[in-house]
Amino acid sequence: MCFPESTDDVAFAVQIANQFKMPFVARGSGTGLAGGATPLDGALVIVTTRMNRIIEVDPSARYAWVEPGVLNLDLTRAVTYLGVHYAPDPSSQQACTIGGNVGTNAGGPHCLAAGVTSAHVLAVDVVLPDGSIERLGSLAPDTPGLDLRGGFVGSEGTMGIATRIAVRLTPNPPEIRTLLADFTAIDDASAAVSAIIAAGIVPAALEMMDAQITRAVEDFVGAGFPRDAEAVLLVEVSGLLGGVEIESDAIDRVCREHGARTVRVAVDPDERALLWKGRKSAFGAVARIAPDYYLHDAVVPRTKLVPVIRRVYEIAEQYELICMNVFHAGDGNLHPLLVFDGREPGIWDRVHAAGDAILTACIEAGGVLSGEHGIGLEKRDAMTLVFDADDLDLQARVRDAFDPDGLANPEKILPKGSRCGEIQRVPEGAWI
Amino acid sequence: MAAGARWAELASTVAAADAVVAVGAGTHADIGGAVVGATEVTVPAGIVAFEPADMTATVNAGTTFAELAHALAEAGQECPLDPRDAEATVGGIVACGLSGARRLGLGPLRNQLLEVTFVTADGRVVRGGGPTVKNVTGYDIPRLFTGSLGTLGILVQVIVRTQPIAAASQWFRSVRDPFDLVAALPDAATIRWDGTETHILLEGHQADIDAQVCAVALEPALPGPQPGTLPDGPHRGRISVEPNRISELADGLRGLDARWAAELGVGTVHIAADDPVAVSAARDVAHHCGGWLLREAGAPELDPFGASFPAAAVQRRLRTALDPTGKLSPGRVPATAPASPVGAAA
Amino acid sequence: MKFDLRLQLDLHLNPDELVACVGCGLCLPHCPTYRVTGEEIASPRGRIAAMRAVADGRAAPDAAFFGAMDACIQCRACEAACPSNVQFGHLMEDTRAAQAPERSRWQRAVEFVAYRGVLPRHRVLTSGTRVLAVAQRLRLVPTRFGLPQLSVRPPTPLAPDPDPDAYLFTGCVMDAWQRDVHRSALRVMRATGARVGLPGAGADCCGALHVHAGRHDEAVALAGRVMGAFPGDAPIVVDSAGCGAALADYGRLVGTADAAAFSARVVDFSTFVAGRSLATRPGSATVVVQDPCHLRHVQRAHLPVAAVLANGYDVKLTADDGLCCGAGGAYSVFEPELSLAVRDRKVAAIRTAAGTDSFVVASANPGCAMHLSAAGLDVRHPAELLEQRLGTD
Repeated sequence: MCFPESTDDVAFAVQIANQFKMPFVARGSGTGLAGGATPLDGALVIVTTRMNRIIEVDPSARYAWVEPGVLNLDLTRAVTYLGVHYAPDPSSQQACTIGGNVGTNAGGPHCLAAGVTSAHVLAVDVVLPDGSIERLGSLAPDTPGLDLRGGFVGSEGTMGIATRIAVRLTPNPPEIRTLLADFTAIDDASAAVSAIIAAGIVPAALEMMDAQITRAVEDFVGAGFPRDAEAVLLVEVSGLLGGVEIESDAIDRVCREHGARTVRVAVDPDERALLWKGRKSAFGAVARIAPDYYLHDAVVPRTKLVPVIRRVYEIAEQYELICMNVFHAGDGNLHPLLVFDGREPGIWDRVHAAGDAILTACIEAGGVLSGEHGIGLEKRDAMTLVFDADDLDLQARVRDAFDPDGLANPEKILPKGSRCGEIQRVPEGAWI
Repeated sequence: MAAGARWAELASTVAAADAVVAVGAGTHADIGGAVVGATEVTVPAGIVAFEPADMTATVNAGTTFAELAHALAEAGQECPLDPRDAEATVGGIVACGLSGARRLGLGPLRNQLLEVTFVTADGRVVRGGGPTVKNVTGYDIPRLFTGSLGTLGILVQVIVRTQPIAAASQWFRSVRDPFDLVAALPDAATIRWDGTETHILLEGHQADIDAQVCAVALEPALPGPQPGTLPDGPHRGRISVEPNRISELADGLRGLDARWAAELGVGTVHIAADDPVAVSAARDVAHHCGGWLLREAGAPELDPFGASFPAAAVQRRLRTALDPTGKLSPGRVPATAPASPVGAAA
Repeated sequence: MKFDLRLQLDLHLNPDELVACVGCGLCLPHCPTYRVTGEEIASPRGRIAAMRAVADGRAAPDAAFFGAMDACIQCRACEAACPSNVQFGHLMEDTRAAQAPERSRWQRAVEFVAYRGVLPRHRVLTSGTRVLAVAQRLRLVPTRFGLPQLSVRPPTPLAPDPDPDAYLFTGCVMDAWQRDVHRSALRVMRATGARVGLPGAGADCCGALHVHAGRHDEAVALAGRVMGAFPGDAPIVVDSAGCGAALADYGRLVGTADAAAFSARVVDFSTFVAGRSLATRPGSATVVVQDPCHLRHVQRAHLPVAAVLANGYDVKLTADDGLCCGAGGAYSVFEPELSLAVRDRKVAAIRTAAGTDSFVVASANPGCAMHLSAAGLDVRHPAELLEQRLGTD
């Protein structure tokens, strides 16, 4: 394990790893949910937490250069006085690093309208897997040749390590309105989400929490989430006053048409902050129900929310597991949580079986494996559910172009056998 | 399945050819180096699926932007690719990496693209990305394809993000300091400056447009030709420069016999001239300002890129990995990247 | 992993408390030692993982383990940040209690004198203080210790009111070194119309430092003495956040209904004042409020400080979620390097919040006040600041 403090330190560490043909893994705050930063096979762990300087902020050109260990929320706090913020806001934003966000192409509630990390990274200084240093992307809108910056973001440390990142800063919206709608049936809430999008409204954020998770977070934050609701929607619209009024009125109407009991509007920034604190604490709060959880991150088309959510609960019931849902409903990004006590004998098998069934249901509905957490180790073997052998072979070639020696976070993202011929290859001396 | 049969046919053509290039509408054929002696293939056109409530559309790469825009508009939606020529195909727009005119407000092309399906050099049909609006399943192949100039594969189908057409959309002009306008109008769709006058496109709800016009004292655009029209001419280029350096770039462009329009807050500057020498001179100015100029039309003697590719070794390995024999659009991109021009590294 | 089985140690941790951590990491930014080191083992999540490994017998309770435990300031900011309500403070106190016999002879000797010989014996403490005051005059005490200017003469005794409707807890070190703060607190409480009583014999020390050091039995004995010194049911006002947190936790420490009832009477000075009416003159001097961990994270009673001061001062808050200053009772003595690194961060946050070079820091805890004074800041207790603004224009 090493704690570099500069790009040169990282390059040095990677060169050492190359010298000894040792795999290496970059790690930030360790808040990832797919095991992308988990070291395997005695890998060198390159921890970026000490590279935590905000190097340059330009509010007029709306960008900042930061080191990878800067915490997501620290960046926004540091630039708030300039009237700008860093838009991607994963629920772990108070703890997770920008470097980790780049690695996983992290999302967050406000990525619905603003777009995920990749839309907010202008350039990255990268230590490539061979230890050389390159700048991918630019503060200029386009660069000659291929968009390697776009390829790098979300590559989970398999294409090198970001050591400086130029992020886009977004002007703070002049108006923000946050609505909390509560429903007595999950289906109604899911239908309301689809209806809001179908009405041509893309809110800044559109989040759903079911009954159990709502009660768990209410116990923590005391924000006044309704304890007796079957589901709540947390919806935020922002921008210029006229649009905010028109859209919040429309959302209020759509929610009520779909059976919302009440639609509450946060009266001030403090109340809004408390509601968001509740939403963003959801994963951490599950230990109030049981000490372990297993989580998926599938995305389904927004028109399929009602049947897919219903199916998720059916599967949990079938395997006699507690299932809780808290997710980015607006972009169809589900986070079904199976909550359990891992000390119970045999429970892990049931959890994994239920997890696989949920994933299969999402993919059958036209979905994908992960919306923002990444594939990492955890969802690697499910890649074959969405990609065929040729698709995976292509991805393996792309990866090998960045990392011919296979030292950068190996064993992640792509399942074994992704390279064509990898399975068929006969080991030397084998008897056929 | 008709599309599947067409793809299989295409795949065998590509597999068999020594050199192959996909041709679209030919509206931007001058981008990149000339491809000579390659088998020309065309790819199917047509909207495959459009679900307004999902705000996504599946489109064959041969579809023209005009056709796509028309289909989406029927449901009150659009995909803001906004090419200079609406006859450009979706595949061509993606391959050329042409971001729309409203990039300031709506983001670059790469943010619109969700999934790509393409034929590889060895004749396989491969898919990257995914159909949902949010997706990190595997590598971001769609982003690698934007601007790849047909060198990674032959695009046959894409899934793009769509969005509701704004309730109101209106051009304005202003003689105020153009850079002040960028700060004062964070919600503008585009702010375009030609060195003397600034044109602003505001989109959204009418009340908000009125409020912005009032706050910043904008004047309505003069009647006549479309105010957003880009400069035209036989020789054209597109400059990419840090938005902070547009003012410096403009000082350099003033002495040239060329027409230009800068997208403020973005850093794209469109330049057109009657004499290719002016485009070449503009490239020198761009290099001096730390940017580069992509040849978009004409200027046959001019190097198409005039700048080194970042991480050239990775780019080369990537192209070789996907196209070992270099059969895809040969000549479009230099086999080895040109040396870094003086000033480009500044 | 294998290791010498003789090294196994039962940490006596509550298994349900131990598994409650789901490892989400939301505590990390709130942990002062993680903030300055960036190391997982210096974070609450890392420490819990280490406790689990030792408790499960997967790792040895070796010097590295105890070093990692000792490096915790016990500010308990992680508890307030934890959505799953992990009782980190308890886990750490229990771990330290298990660790206490493992300490070095030297450390045990120092601790024996401090925890057994001085803190609970008020007369020893006050006479020791006078020796210290002489040493201070002779410049034998380094200023980096941040001790207040001590008086060579015995401090003037405080005078209680008859028939009290509230008590002021006086404690050990604070009463010996900063009795003027008590005097200010008394005046302000009286200005709110309270009749203030003082504890009877036995309330010499709340036992907070003993709990932190894992000296559980001594802490329980001290608690018994303290509870006996406050007859009746009048609220017990505490002007030291550390003592207040300890008194408010007697219910759990002692585990009796009487102790729980006692804890329910404990109230911080600012909370007490905020609930009553007080006439103060407005003013514009800048005051930056420093939230002591034991007020903010443990008692969750930090908001009234800014509220009561706002009538007399231009109050500024730091933007660091109340990150610890690094004092941590005896922590600054045993872990000077980390303590100073944490303090540097805090001082920077305070200066940023002040936005001017001329400001005073309000701290409701004597330990924090001393630690920050040593960094060159002008630190006062909220009671002292309020006293200066008493009355009407």
